Order: sequence, then C-alpha cells, then structure tokens
Amino acid sequence: MSAAAIDTVDDDLWSAIGDPTRRRIVDLLLTHGDGTATTLSEQLPVTRQAVAKHLGVLDRVVLVRATPAGREKRYRVDEAQLAHAVAQLASVTAAWDARLRRIKRIAETIQHDRPASKRRTTSGG
Amino acid sequence: MERGTIEREIYIEASPEVVFEVVSSPEHLREWWPDEARYERVPGASGEIVFGECDAGGTVVAFTVVDVRAPHSFTFRWTHPAGEEAIAGNSLLVTFDLAPTGGGTLLRMTESGFREMGWEAAVLEQQYHDHLSGWDLHLSRLVPYLATLELQP
Repeated sequence: MSAAAIDTVDDDLWSAIGDPTRRRIVDLLLTHGDGTATTLSEQLPVTRQAVAKHLGVLDRVVLVRATPAGREKRYRVDEAQLAHAVAQLASVTAAWDARLRRIKRIAETIQHDRPASKRRTTSGG
Repeated sequence: MERGTIEREIYIEASPEVVFEVVSSPEHLREWWPDEARYERVPGASGEIVFGECDAGGTVVAFTVVDVRAPHSFTFRWTHPAGEEAIAGNSLLVTFDLAPTGGGTLLRMTESGFREMGWEAAVLEQQYHDHLSGWDLHLSRLVPYLATLELQP
C-alpha cells in the first residue's frame, strides 16, 4: 500500500467507476455482500463473460477483492478503496462548486453595481 | 479524447457578457481561483496561473487558452508540464458554457481528463492551501475549503 501504488490506482479509478455496468456490479456486491461472475450475471442484462471482464477491471483498481470459490472467484467490495474513489470525486466537485459560487458572487456584484438600464445613456464598457 | 468528466452548473443573476468577463479575464480569474493569472485571452495563447506567493514557495501551473467565444463559451487547458504544448492526455480541459436564462445566465462548467491525469491535479490549490501554516486567507475562500477537507480520507 505505498503512495505510488495508490497514485497508479487513481488514474484508473474514474474509468472503473465511470462505467454504468461496473457501478451496478459494485451496487450488487454492496447489497449482497459478495458475488461471483455467475451470480452477478443472473441479475444483470449482460453475459457472464462480460461480468467477468468488468470484475477484472474493478479488481485491477482494487475496488473489489477476489477469493477462490470452487472454479470461480468470489468478489467483495474493498470499502476503503471505494471511499477513497468517492472522496476524490467529491473533493474535485466541491472545489469547483466553491469556485462557481465565487464567480456568481463577483458577477452579480458587477451587474448590481452597473447603472440601471434606463440610466444607460453613455456607452457601457 | 479525454475521459473522466465532471459537470457543474450554477445560475447567476448577471448578463452573459458580465459572466463571460468574470470566467475568462485574468483579472477576474484571480478573484475566484488562483492568486495570480497571466495569459492573453486568445486561442492558443499559453500562460500560467500561480497558487500562493511566487517568491514564497507558491506553485506555478501552466494554463493555455483553447477557445474564446464571447459571450458564449471559454475553454482552457491547465496542469500540463511547463514548456509542453497542452494537448489531450497531458492536461485537464475546462469549458465554461454560458446560456442566457430568465434574465440571467446559466453557467455550466465541464472539466475532463481525469482518466488520464488523475484527481489530485484538479485540487492543486487545495493541496497548497492545506499545507499553508498561516491563516491569512479570506474567510470567504476558506469556508468552502473547510467543507472540502471533511471529505478527505
């Protein structure tokens, strides 16, 4: 769990959780505690092979962890890594929300301080 | 093609012309984002934005204007390595779209490139301010950051 390993994960995290099918898989795993490609494909409109592929992507960014279960692998969500991904997304959006609130305040102040339109006899600049 | 996009929008009670000035001019940019902003508002013009004091360990970040369509949209790239041309894959792409709505302006911000760049680059000034020991920030700037910090693991 070195910092470098986490940085590598960060680059791929968005694409891992950006896909709707993978988000659905994470949802199902959170709801049921765990699942295999077979049990998950029964609840999704995609093939077992497709689910296995998505699980592979999620596994690479450590959003899920696998344990052997007979001929298959049983997957669980790594909740710490999921929280990390959600926190990163949240911090970026929160930073932009703060910037946009400042833009709004500045623009509305400028607009407010301008002469009313009926008084606009000189050229506006 | 950049992947990993966030979109935010906000309604502003000001004309698109006023909002365009605020989101695109270097003079206004430093009122709502970096501490310093140096660029020409011309497509292709490269410049820089600075977080913190340049002479006191501040961070200089590359900033390149991509497109300027007053008062409809303003597009730029940032976080590319200094001296490199800003292209998809080495920078985050930000677009402001302005639409006149109900006597004001609906401002939509789209930022993409997180798939390639990771998340940390986008909150660079936050990292910088996190590391500041002084508390000489305006309260209005500090409060949103405090809200953000609570989300950190």
